[in-house]
Amino acid sequence: MKLPKWRFAFLAIICTFTIIITNCSKPANNINTTNPPPSQQGVLVYGSGGPPVNLEPGNILDGNSLIVQQQIYNRLVEFKPGTTELQPGLANSWSVSKDGKTWTFKLRPGVKFHDGTDFNAEAVKFNVERWWDAKNPNGYRNAGKSYEIWQQLFGGFKGQPNSLLQNIVLVDNSTVQFVLKQPFAAFPSAIASGYFGIASPTAIKKAGANYGTPAAIAVGTGPFIFKEWRTGDRILLEKNPNYWRSGLPKTNQLVIRFITDPAARLAQLRAGQIDFTVDLAPDQNKEIEQDSNLVAVPRPSLNVGYLALNPSYKPLSDVRVRQAIAHAINKQQIVQAFWGNLGTNDAHFTAPSLNWSQSANIKPYEYNSDKAKQLLAQAGYPNGFDLELWYMPVSRPYFPTPKPIAEAFAADLNAVGIRVKLNTKDWAAYLEDRRNPPGFQAYMLGWTADYGDPDNFYYPHFGPGGTTDLGNWKNDKVIQLLNQARQTGEQSARGKLYAQVDEILHQETVRLPIVHSQPLLAKRKNIEGWVPSPLGSENFEAVEKK
Amino acid sequence: MWKYIIKRLFSLLPVLLGITLLVFTLLHLIPGDPAVVLLGERATPEQIEAFRQQLGLNQPLPLQYITFIGRLIRFDFGSSIISGIPIAEEIKIRWPATFELSVSAMLIAVVLGVPAGIMAAVRKNSWLDNLLMSGSLIGVSLPVYWLGLLLIYLFAVNWQLLPPSGRISVESAFNFQAITGFYLLDSLLKLDLKMFANVISHLILPALTLGTIPLAIIARITRSAMLETLSQDYIRTARAKGVTGRSIVVKHALKNAFLPIITTIGLQFGTLLSGAILTETIFSWPGIGSWLYEGILARDYPVVQGGVVFVSVAFVIINLLVDLSYAFFDPRIQYN
Repeated sequence: MKLPKWRFAFLAIICTFTIIITNCSKPANNINTTNPPPSQQGVLVYGSGGPPVNLEPGNILDGNSLIVQQQIYNRLVEFKPGTTELQPGLANSWSVSKDGKTWTFKLRPGVKFHDGTDFNAEAVKFNVERWWDAKNPNGYRNAGKSYEIWQQLFGGFKGQPNSLLQNIVLVDNSTVQFVLKQPFAAFPSAIASGYFGIASPTAIKKAGANYGTPAAIAVGTGPFIFKEWRTGDRILLEKNPNYWRSGLPKTNQLVIRFITDPAARLAQLRAGQIDFTVDLAPDQNKEIEQDSNLVAVPRPSLNVGYLALNPSYKPLSDVRVRQAIAHAINKQQIVQAFWGNLGTNDAHFTAPSLNWSQSANIKPYEYNSDKAKQLLAQAGYPNGFDLELWYMPVSRPYFPTPKPIAEAFAADLNAVGIRVKLNTKDWAAYLEDRRNPPGFQAYMLGWTADYGDPDNFYYPHFGPGGTTDLGNWKNDKVIQLLNQARQTGEQSARGKLYAQVDEILHQETVRLPIVHSQPLLAKRKNIEGWVPSPLGSENFEAVEKK
Repeated sequence: MWKYIIKRLFSLLPVLLGITLLVFTLLHLIPGDPAVVLLGERATPEQIEAFRQQLGLNQPLPLQYITFIGRLIRFDFGSSIISGIPIAEEIKIRWPATFELSVSAMLIAVVLGVPAGIMAAVRKNSWLDNLLMSGSLIGVSLPVYWLGLLLIYLFAVNWQLLPPSGRISVESAFNFQAITGFYLLDSLLKLDLKMFANVISHLILPALTLGTIPLAIIARITRSAMLETLSQDYIRTARAKGVTGRSIVVKHALKNAFLPIITTIGLQFGTLLSGAILTETIFSWPGIGSWLYEGILARDYPVVQGGVVFVSVAFVIINLLVDLSYAFFDPRIQYN
């Protein structure tokens, strides 16, 4: 039987198409895959909230990237598990000069990167210079890398007037010095933040601008060695047999699965597909409690969810009106309703773990609608006023369900005569427009600290340039105290300065603290050794499956 | 035939140009830009501006569009703003996952949908017809997100019969090396039946979720196409000549009713390729859909533009194949 011409052509197209689809799709991301692991025992599976952006230290901000980086890299200084206290990392010890400007770090000897090259002072300098120096050839800025976090935490890049760092000096092979333009007491904390893992210079030079992407590699000194990144799916890591912390890590293989949807993440935890996970909503706590195989794990709080009250708008320019709002909102009840035991409300902008910097003299504005009405009347608004309140369109650990929380604010404010109009907009536009003058009248946002120091709460929100969303509201005394605290070495002395800041800000009420939340994490019962960090990411070197 | 195909392929050019213009315009109409999303809550306006400059986002829109088209002509989709990964590379890695899922979903939809439609048509107004059509109405109306989670809770969490996500189990992931990226095919090429079963078990729930709506649509279209054909004179003649019921349905009616069915299958398949966003997100499926979803959230313009262009080309090619298949099913149609 002879096929008609057109039928032959049709079949030929189908065949060609099939051949193309089966041959043209060889995955390009399967690298380093020639040596399968000796054993499948001890595979630990972590359910991440999404894929990492990049595994290159210093170049990204998102939590999904940082948690993977934590497994691959170490930093000079690290945080004790579950706390914001410092402990030696790749630096054995550190000290500061009398003028508070030169920080000297003594490096740990004998440490090697996963690629077998030596970790030393040269490697530290190499890493720091690519973050700090915009002209560094190994920074690959022309390929879109920005290292913005360096600028945010240390004032600016090399040569810029606000750059805190003046120079980095190699004293010897195991000693490195950071010379600052002015004293910065929180420097070791800042350099300990998860962004600044030390990567292998050899690997960076070899991979170039591709370093840290699925098509390349990521090489550090950390507990796990990068094996493979399957785009959109998972990252495979293996135990570093030469890890400098003896006896660790406790698991042979670590798989990081990307599961964007919290409901799907919890379902997979319940099904036993993943061993531990993060970023669950507080209302999922009940489901976790009902499953005898699961354990809820609250992450220690190092955040604040606040209601910003913009004083550049007429009614809010009067401090009594802002205080009236603080009295009108039943913060305790709202926190109880939306966070349960996973949230606290207090009078402070900084998280409870930084209580050494908080004033003991201030108390939260009690819920008292009569007092609120009285303050409004004193300010000349006995019949209230119209208020535009903006709520976030996305969920964040500090405000997991922004809209219902905003509705609760609105109900309380309406009760004292403040007629609230609720608004929201696309997240990117929300972030952008709050800073476009005159900004929003009132809006919800929050902050999770990069490192455990009050400076990281106060300076970005009340320091120079930090109040564009509040119509450039400025309190000279606050700025003076913040700068003074930066230059003070003693913690007790710094604590007193920050306590004054705390009191002024409580009085001014331009950012009303609503909650310090504990993000909800969960694990299966047989997982041990996981101590979540208040900073949002930790390494899993001590985690094991029993 | 070939002339027709070449003509159709050339007609793809204005379509693509229109799509790129539409996507580009719509993307830039959405407020907010990638610099803000990427730098997050803590970025200062100066940093955002510097970053926009670095990404070329401060250039006039027409210039940005021309640059994009210029690259596209050279088959250069650019790189993701967020991750820096070349778009072409990402598509190459991800599309086998989407294609495998879509084909599986379509298989479920066709294998169940066409017989269901035929049965409903043959037993018109019977309890079976009512049952099947009510079922298909529910199928069309079910929200994919809800159905996906329901299936996960039933089959993965409660009964623990099937895995809830991913393409392959964790234990196998370390040892399994893809050859083509189509895991089903790869496991067969390696003659690894255990792996084949592993991949199949991971495919069932997402394919069922994704296939439900097309299944319901195909069943309804098949029913109406069959009803129309079964009422034709030549069917009555065939019956009068004593042709058996089964032969009438399969040989005479189905073949003639197949054109609208095949058109629906083609359109649905094209939609599946682009519409697997929710399913891929719920089942953590590393395909084009979940990638586009992340790209849209992050305002990653090159990802969205590249992804949409890819999906559009796939859609047009599938429709071309559907058009060509008309001649295969109906000898009266010629492409000369």
